[in-house]
Amino acid sequence: MTTISAYGPPGRLTDLDDAGRQAWHVFISDSVDEAITGPDPAEVLHNSPRPQFYNLTRTDTAEDAVRAAVTWTAFPNRLRSAISDRQRWQRADASRDVQDEYCEWSVTRDDSGKITRVTFTCEGPEYWDVLARTDPDKVLDLYRAHIGPAVRRSDLFGPDGRYVRRNKWNDSTTQGAMHLIQQSNTLGAEIELAAAATIRRVVGGRELTGAQELIACAKYGVPDRNSDPHIGEVVNSVARQKADIALSDPVGIYFDDLATDGWSTPDGSDPKSFWRFERGDTDVPVRAVYEVPGDRDFTVGDITIAGRPIEFGAQITDFVTVKLTATACRIGLSTAPPQTACVELAAGDDVTPGAFSPGTFSAQGYLGSRPDQAPRSTRLVA
Amino acid sequence: MSLWERTPERRRATAWPPAEPPGAAVAVTAADEGGGLRPGTLHRGVSGVDRGPVPMSAEQFDGLRDPMARVFFRRGRWPMTLEEVLDGLAEAGELPAQSVYLIGEAGQIPPHEAPGLRRDFRFAITRAEPGKDADLLVSSDPGSVFLQVAAWDPQARVFNYYMRISPAWVWTGDSWSALAPRSRGKGCFDSHVNGSVVMKELKQPWSNWQSMSATIQLAPDDPLRDNPLYRQVIGAERLELTVKGLVSRWTAARLSTVVTDGVVTHPDRLLRQLLTSTTVNLASTSVQSATVAASGQDLVLPLGFWLNADALLNDLGLPVGAANAPSAPASLYADSVAAFGFRMEERVSGFTRPGDTFFAFMVPEAAYEDNDVVRQAVERGLVPARFAACALMVDFSEPVFSPVRAHLMRYVPTAPVPVSTWCADIAAAVVDAARTLPADSPEAEFARNWAVPEAEWPEVFARRVDAYLEKVAARIRTASGFDDCVRLAESRRRTFKEMRLNEFALTLPTTDIPADAPRLRMHEDGTVGEATSGGSP
Repeated sequence: MTTISAYGPPGRLTDLDDAGRQAWHVFISDSVDEAITGPDPAEVLHNSPRPQFYNLTRTDTAEDAVRAAVTWTAFPNRLRSAISDRQRWQRADASRDVQDEYCEWSVTRDDSGKITRVTFTCEGPEYWDVLARTDPDKVLDLYRAHIGPAVRRSDLFGPDGRYVRRNKWNDSTTQGAMHLIQQSNTLGAEIELAAAATIRRVVGGRELTGAQELIACAKYGVPDRNSDPHIGEVVNSVARQKADIALSDPVGIYFDDLATDGWSTPDGSDPKSFWRFERGDTDVPVRAVYEVPGDRDFTVGDITIAGRPIEFGAQITDFVTVKLTATACRIGLSTAPPQTACVELAAGDDVTPGAFSPGTFSAQGYLGSRPDQAPRSTRLVA
Repeated sequence: MSLWERTPERRRATAWPPAEPPGAAVAVTAADEGGGLRPGTLHRGVSGVDRGPVPMSAEQFDGLRDPMARVFFRRGRWPMTLEEVLDGLAEAGELPAQSVYLIGEAGQIPPHEAPGLRRDFRFAITRAEPGKDADLLVSSDPGSVFLQVAAWDPQARVFNYYMRISPAWVWTGDSWSALAPRSRGKGCFDSHVNGSVVMKELKQPWSNWQSMSATIQLAPDDPLRDNPLYRQVIGAERLELTVKGLVSRWTAARLSTVVTDGVVTHPDRLLRQLLTSTTVNLASTSVQSATVAASGQDLVLPLGFWLNADALLNDLGLPVGAANAPSAPASLYADSVAAFGFRMEERVSGFTRPGDTFFAFMVPEAAYEDNDVVRQAVERGLVPARFAACALMVDFSEPVFSPVRAHLMRYVPTAPVPVSTWCADIAAAVVDAARTLPADSPEAEFARNWAVPEAEWPEVFARRVDAYLEKVAARIRTASGFDDCVRLAESRRRTFKEMRLNEFALTLPTTDIPADAPRLRMHEDGTVGEATSGGSP
């Protein structure tokens, strides 16, 4: 029976100083707490509380705990209805706004238009908000290291000093991708989704079990993504075993794998050897690059997949999987009753639980997304 | 009856007629021709070739270089269970990268709603060297009732197929056996039709497989939950990539040998994968059928229902202008499920349940393995892209089971032909025949396609595809047009059900459409009519 003392940075990254680490812990812990509480029942019906979701820092993880990864394909499902592969790859490469599977990428080409490098990120934007508030110099250093030396501080920060998530070096599919920016790709969304999915739904006497019927009923994500319905279905299937569920520490989205079945390189070398992680621990990588070293006489664009040269970053994304990891324990012991109706939103309601609140930093540090409830023991004290 | 069908150590094929009266199924014994099965011995038993399992000759045995032979048989080891196969590989330090997949046609039927229904879950397990293509695929069930293996031989460049028939193992053929006339379509090659590995539900949403689109449902006390392999199950989205890669590996190996001294040795074996449906895959929408509400979002029907998009658009690159696959109002689909009496039915158990398959609108589509042969043949210059396109554009609105395209096989020689001119020669023969045949004949349709200049065929064919898709997109937004497509889909499903590939009754829905309803076809003008051997109007 254990608790953890604090939520760690995604990917066990080491960029944050002490204040940043504390702020990050507060953000995750608060987001989890809010997700456990759920929305105000006066505003949103049948969606709270979520007693089978728990905070790793406050509630014991029992000895029967099991960890399981939930994985999905990084290529955006919403583009699957394109009439041809070429069309869907073109569309996926055209805008970060359609890259909504918690994985975004940017493509670098040589003068002839041939791909030389594709950069993938699954880093949540909230982490960069925290880093920018606690150590803006580090943000600039990281951009220069991973995007390019031409990045200037004024490119990243607005006149008021606030970090700009969608800055010129992180808002396209060609200039670089430092972290996620697509509006649905946030860690707050991941936490809320996982929590909401722990609610069992028995509607009309029948327990909902399918991914699509669950997300349609519980309204916990975007139905036409690969990720959200799948995460919800897996979490709910564990909840139906009457287990308590938490997102494993460090909370985040991580790269799972790159498959290279059917890939071929001009010199017969292993195509997977050109896939490397640039940020995050080995088991929780958050930044990946596909690039052929300069000492080879070919580039990414010369590699073929099923006989077809790589002309789009999205061709690689078809083979990339991303994941989150959840922990389940007290299996069979939960007495939480199921909800017997689907979620109903009050008119005009706009629930964004778990959203990071850059404005809530104070002299005492980050006050969390509910500064009215600060100070608490988890708050940073300057 | 073949060894494959006689043994009880195979999958329970609920869609097949019973081979023997109940209780008559017996293990292969010494009474079988060939002297029976001896423990500790690798036998050979190729359906259509061998009259019974016989001990494999030393010469053939010594020639096997696949992992199953290397790790087990050549070392005198005879694993009798799935776990023994996997453990044996681990002990030998061979193929350490293991991926486990789970499939079951009853996997989306809530266990408590059908407690008497046998679930018949099956594992598919791949083993590979890290970062390499899988070299071993095992198909089995949690109790190892059946145990079958496809193993890649890197020297012979074939898959060897093995099945355990207690107390021994039987080599049931290799990839070439699938193409040889005596064994083609027999034994394991009724599903490994062209010699490669098979995953019928190859694309998203990978119906019946556990995947990121659907998790197989287990009862809380299902013993499978305690099976260590179950805990390793990953999504079938990964298996799709593996299977496609392995199909292509065999295709490449095969095509590297089809030309000898400037002649194509078996032109018919190559072009039947262009002109006929040697097999099919099953495609569906990604929408859970039970969630389709009359007021819901439009239903995007599988593109492979309309045309062989993989070959025409992805491989041959027709520059179509259409942006998205045709979609139908959800209300029309929901109405059709009720109106046509869709139900899931397994006669052997008496199970029946109203509604469509878990994912809506499942239909056969052109097989990846057929398309892969065409794609690689074009890439290698064995078949000109124009020739392939002209052939596929014959009756292109019928992507599977087209008797019109199949009719053209009569112009494909069975004897060796010069690789430099063979396709042009076939085209010339078809065009010549067309001069005296009706304008709607398959020959005339091919001749019209062939008459399109080399520089223009991609655009000309793309315009035809665009025009066709525009018409069907409009038609399926009408009640009568959608109902026609439902009937057409059922017609194609019934053709599939006649294939040995249709093993399980719960793979496809049953409907109230009369059993003697005529087979249907889609015309290029977007209308549905009775199937004929004529060309498209």
